[in-house]
Amino acid sequence: MGDPHLLSSAHPNAAASASARKHPGPIDERLAASDPSPSSAKRPRVAAEPPASGGCVPNVEADVRALVSMAGGIYPLARAEALRGLTAVLENVDPSSRASVGITECCYKCAVELMRDDDNGVRLAVVRLVGACARNFSARLNFDANGYGDLMDMIFLQLSSMARDMCTQVRMEAFTALGKMQRVSEGVLLQSLSKKVIKTDSMNVSIINGQKLPPKLKIPCAAGIFSHGIEDEFYQVRTTACKSLGALAKFSNQYAEKALDLLMDMMNDDTEAVRLQTLEALFHMATYGCLTVQEKHMHMFLGLLVDATAVIRDAARKILGLVNMPKLQIFKSAVDGLITSLEKYPEEQDIYGILFSIGKNHGSFSANIAKYLAKEIAMASDGELILDKPRVKALLIVSISAPFSDDKHKKLNIPSIIFSHAIPLLEKFSCALGGEINQDSLLSYLCQKGGMPFWENRSISAEFGESESCNVETVEIGAHIENTAKATKCLDEVLVMQSVKSILEIVEGAWTMRMTCNVCEVRTILRTCKEELRLLAENSSGSIGAFLSFLSEYVDAMLFIVEIWQLIQLDNPYTFGLTSLDILLEKLDMSVRRMEYCYVRLNRVLEVQVLELSLIAHLFRLSKIAVCSKVVLGKLLSVINRLEDLCADGSCELSDFSREIKKAFDTNPTGDNLIGSINNLFQLFRLKPTTDFGMLKVISAVLRVCDNDSENPLQYICGLPVGISFKISLWNVSSHHRLWLRMTIGESMQHTFLDFSCFGGNDEVKSSSMVVPLYATPKACSFVLRVCLVMECPSAGISTHQGGDGGPSDSVVQLSDELDVYFVSAVQR
Amino acid sequence: MAIECLVLGAGQEVGKSCVVVTIGGKRVMFDCGMHMGYHDHRHYPDFARALAAWGAPDFTTAISCVVITHFHLDHIGALPYFTEICGYHGPIYMTYPTKALAPFMLEDYRKVTMDQRGEEEQYSYEDILRCMKKVIPMDLKQTIQVDKDLVIRAYYAGHVIGAAMIYAKVGDAAMVYTGDYNMTPDRHLGAAQIDHLKLDLLITESTYAKTIRDSKHAREREFLKAVHKCVSGGGKVLIPTFALGRAQELCMLLDDYWERMDLKVPIYFSAGLTIQANVYYKMLIGWTSQKIKDSHAVHNPFDFKHVCHFERSFINNPGPCVLFATPGMISGGFSLEAFKKWAPSEKNLITLPGYCVSGTIGHKLMCGKPTRIDYKDIHIDVRCQIHQLAFSPHTDSKGIMDLTEFLSPKHVILVHGEKPQMAFLKERIESELGMPCYYPGNNESVSIPTTQNLKMSATERFITSCAVEQGKRSLHKRNLICGTGLSEVIGSDEEAAEGILLMEKHKSPKILCEDELLEVLGMEQHLVQFEPMVSRIVADVESELQRAKAADLDSDGK
Repeated sequence: MGDPHLLSSAHPNAAASASARKHPGPIDERLAASDPSPSSAKRPRVAAEPPASGGCVPNVEADVRALVSMAGGIYPLARAEALRGLTAVLENVDPSSRASVGITECCYKCAVELMRDDDNGVRLAVVRLVGACARNFSARLNFDANGYGDLMDMIFLQLSSMARDMCTQVRMEAFTALGKMQRVSEGVLLQSLSKKVIKTDSMNVSIINGQKLPPKLKIPCAAGIFSHGIEDEFYQVRTTACKSLGALAKFSNQYAEKALDLLMDMMNDDTEAVRLQTLEALFHMATYGCLTVQEKHMHMFLGLLVDATAVIRDAARKILGLVNMPKLQIFKSAVDGLITSLEKYPEEQDIYGILFSIGKNHGSFSANIAKYLAKEIAMASDGELILDKPRVKALLIVSISAPFSDDKHKKLNIPSIIFSHAIPLLEKFSCALGGEINQDSLLSYLCQKGGMPFWENRSISAEFGESESCNVETVEIGAHIENTAKATKCLDEVLVMQSVKSILEIVEGAWTMRMTCNVCEVRTILRTCKEELRLLAENSSGSIGAFLSFLSEYVDAMLFIVEIWQLIQLDNPYTFGLTSLDILLEKLDMSVRRMEYCYVRLNRVLEVQVLELSLIAHLFRLSKIAVCSKVVLGKLLSVINRLEDLCADGSCELSDFSREIKKAFDTNPTGDNLIGSINNLFQLFRLKPTTDFGMLKVISAVLRVCDNDSENPLQYICGLPVGISFKISLWNVSSHHRLWLRMTIGESMQHTFLDFSCFGGNDEVKSSSMVVPLYATPKACSFVLRVCLVMECPSAGISTHQGGDGGPSDSVVQLSDELDVYFVSAVQR
Repeated sequence: MAIECLVLGAGQEVGKSCVVVTIGGKRVMFDCGMHMGYHDHRHYPDFARALAAWGAPDFTTAISCVVITHFHLDHIGALPYFTEICGYHGPIYMTYPTKALAPFMLEDYRKVTMDQRGEEEQYSYEDILRCMKKVIPMDLKQTIQVDKDLVIRAYYAGHVIGAAMIYAKVGDAAMVYTGDYNMTPDRHLGAAQIDHLKLDLLITESTYAKTIRDSKHAREREFLKAVHKCVSGGGKVLIPTFALGRAQELCMLLDDYWERMDLKVPIYFSAGLTIQANVYYKMLIGWTSQKIKDSHAVHNPFDFKHVCHFERSFINNPGPCVLFATPGMISGGFSLEAFKKWAPSEKNLITLPGYCVSGTIGHKLMCGKPTRIDYKDIHIDVRCQIHQLAFSPHTDSKGIMDLTEFLSPKHVILVHGEKPQMAFLKERIESELGMPCYYPGNNESVSIPTTQNLKMSATERFITSCAVEQGKRSLHKRNLICGTGLSEVIGSDEEAAEGILLMEKHKSPKILCEDELLEVLGMEQHLVQFEPMVSRIVADVESELQRAKAADLDSDGK
């Protein structure tokens, strides 16, 4: 309080000029709020602040005033409640608004007064309130950095003094609040680790002269607060202290180094929860890159690697996979530790993954290991070096990881003998890479590096031989290594698009080789690509995620087309009954339908692609039945019309394939010549995948049943309806979509229409929980109901009516995974 | 009213803790210990002198009650002497565990002194039993009304099992005597815990007035490393400890480590006492640390898995072992016997407790590593390794400051520490916390003024008028806020209300409104009016007067 320039700026002219501006910055905001005339144009805008802030600002002020006066009351419960109220107010106030400054300062002042309250509950509430104030102040720092730094230090010290409270809850809360502090100066942070008071002149000056400190609040009260915290009697306090200790590490490297010493000592703690939390804190530090292991810590780490508890071992390994090891010696001892752990717990195969990432993070060290290993391999006579030995396997993994390391500027010479010996470990290797790269490409990579003639034996076609294929694969690997190097869930969009491009190139390449080359191979390539796209899609979100899932659908369709083509060429088309061809055709149809209907805002290019696929699907149907079915022809025609429509304005061109079909149609509307020339037409089909996806969105749904699994079935009475309560979430579904809940018991099927009126949420996500009756329960002791959400596809005029069960009148696409609901008869004899 | 604090023992020294506090006319003796370093009259606190100073016929009338904080001999050692020989028959308070374990400690010490030193026996076993019969046990946070005015309450102190900090209150005067305490928990005990209390005086121990100890984790690690190194080299480890407390703590640590490292070296307890004490520990789970409280239902941590049965002859056995022996400072008893046997071998390891009273072998070993120790005509060659245990059940300087800051008493008295360190701590307390601090020597006393609260009533009218005033003010402020937004107005609610304090004899004091005064006093209102005298008026008056005078003169002249 007492910010004189705030008051002085409350000048009518300043307010007027501020309101005249379009986008007032934070400073203007302050001026506006301090406008003395309530009738100015500013009023509505202030009132329209988030409703959570309790309406307009003056009301908040009144709240704060009332609460502050109540906080001075004589009853401790009332005081505590008032402080909690203030905390709630602070949480709802927008920290960027001008009003928040006054309110926060006022709350802070009030909290400081009650810091030494006699009642535990009040002190607990004080800590929370101070924490909330600190958050608001630090949010404020983003707008104006004048003079809050000292304040933050001061709050840190105050919280530290609370962390020595006699009440366990207060201590816990204080440590939690300390962990959430932002922008604390390094001196204060360092002091919080050491019980001995660090005497730094500059620090004393900045803190004691900068603020009028009450006599009790000098830096000593922060002294060693974390050393106390980790020695606390209650493991809950120790846990929170550990957590905060790790969380603050990102602010200062010097602090992180010292905090590591404390955390390493915590590994001797007698409570497992604390040890785990410590490991988590270390992991946190490691992900922020502020964890550098020193030699003195190594024996503790190595001890953890052979700990009796599997969770601890696992956590320790994960950390080890991320830390920086400054010395070769440490690196070697870490690798040795992992090998020991591997020998002791051979079932824990993820150690290989850790070895790989350690090696990758320390490229030159692993190159060193590779050098020695290569010597060892060369020296060993036949049979002496057994690849089965965990040690050799581990060292091989480490060596092989060197070329993937980030320090690419150094040329790492990995002897080729390493690569050739690593081939038997292909599976582990690909696991270590996160399973994202298929083994074939890895194998080819290893062979190529190992100098083995591998592709020559395998490749069939001459023009698509070794070199090109290897190139493709290495490009692919390259893209992936970049991804794994990121090692984060949220993949960078640029990187994703790069890999998508390379994948699409592969797909195109594969398509061109469908005629010349073995279909099996094409299939494998496509399948791998699809798998990769799916993986990428899982890690992405938004439009790019939708596009990736679209692409994987697309590649899926390609796969079906290739397979169908093969069948059409090989099989006798005049067979009866349901053949694999029928199934494939149906699958292709489904796939095309999904692409057509499950994506919102398909751009023109993508839509053309889908329509062409749909043309092909219809062509296949025609060739299958070898008779020109009216229905299929009708559909074909409608697709062509739509295509023409799309290309009418010349923004994109009708492909040769479509044009040829159109021509055939025009000459003979019954479509007889279509079947004859199907082979030629198929040859004309070209893939033109695009990477332009615009604002693509995918329609999807998640269906859940409450409290039901095979152990915990729902009860029903035979023959009577039973209600099932579902939780349904829908993404990007708008009101014109027609969704049905399909419930299947064996052969019988019940469709229930979903009424969107009972759904809450916005256009993007809708969710609801509803009880849906199942009318015809079977006369059985128990049964499994299969439920899924389907969406109707409004095919233009041509209806494939599915019968009068009251279900959807058009063909449908499945939106959600199929769900099993378990039932058991209530009357069991 | 004042609190009079007479330090009978542990003033500027460690040993024979005994502080008598006169608070509101009640005399309370905190602790009644003996000094382990002396064997003459300095062995016990100088009770007779105190009695003479008080001018009371006997101790029972002079002292309202005795409170013992914990069972260490320097806190309880003189109790049988005081009750059975000096003849105090008033109430004695101690916690349940202290009452349970104290007889063992006293009897053990009595035997040791009798056997080893041939010292004149001050009290007999029967004395101990009779003394313990007079003890009234108390529980943590149990408020005990000793007599009409005096109230005492015990708070958890850590340190050893059953250790307590004592809060005493007479009327408005309140004080806390901490005894020994520990602010950091260890393997088997929790940290000291106390409420926020309004105190006039805090008497705190200050064993580590200057030391700031580092993390206990590091201490544990070093201890384990030293022991492990020694036993793996085939050496013997002698751990002289008090039977109770440190022995259990270290044994828990070792037992845990043995389990983890799968060691087979035997661990022995030399005395049946320690084993007996373990039985008590198993029952006193409620007084241990949170971790043990939580887990004892599954496994009682005082069931040590690796501790083996011991006989005195084992001392000559070859091969490595770990031996816990009493007493802690190697001042005699079995630890001295084992020390004599094992000290000459460099393979062996002696761990020393964190603190040794001067005059004991432990103290000599601590002050630099001697090669030869002369102890009562015995010469011992010392070649063994010495590891100084940094474990201590006492709080460090930081802990004392923390507790003092938390309690925020008006005055602080330091006892149970060494003079130079106490002087240092006194400076810190006075400068950093702004509390007057004293550290009297033995037989010195400090008098501390106390605040006295006066209860007074207020008339209804006064309260109403105050409320009306406040209402008006807040209304005023409300307008202000609407005008200029939230600024300095909030938070300055407190403004003085005006009234008259009326204190009459034989009546409780009262606060009144100004206009009520006459009514209450039953007096009439007298008004004194003053008129302002401006110079012009003065001149007028003066000229008038002169004229009058002149007229008088005229008339006189006529």
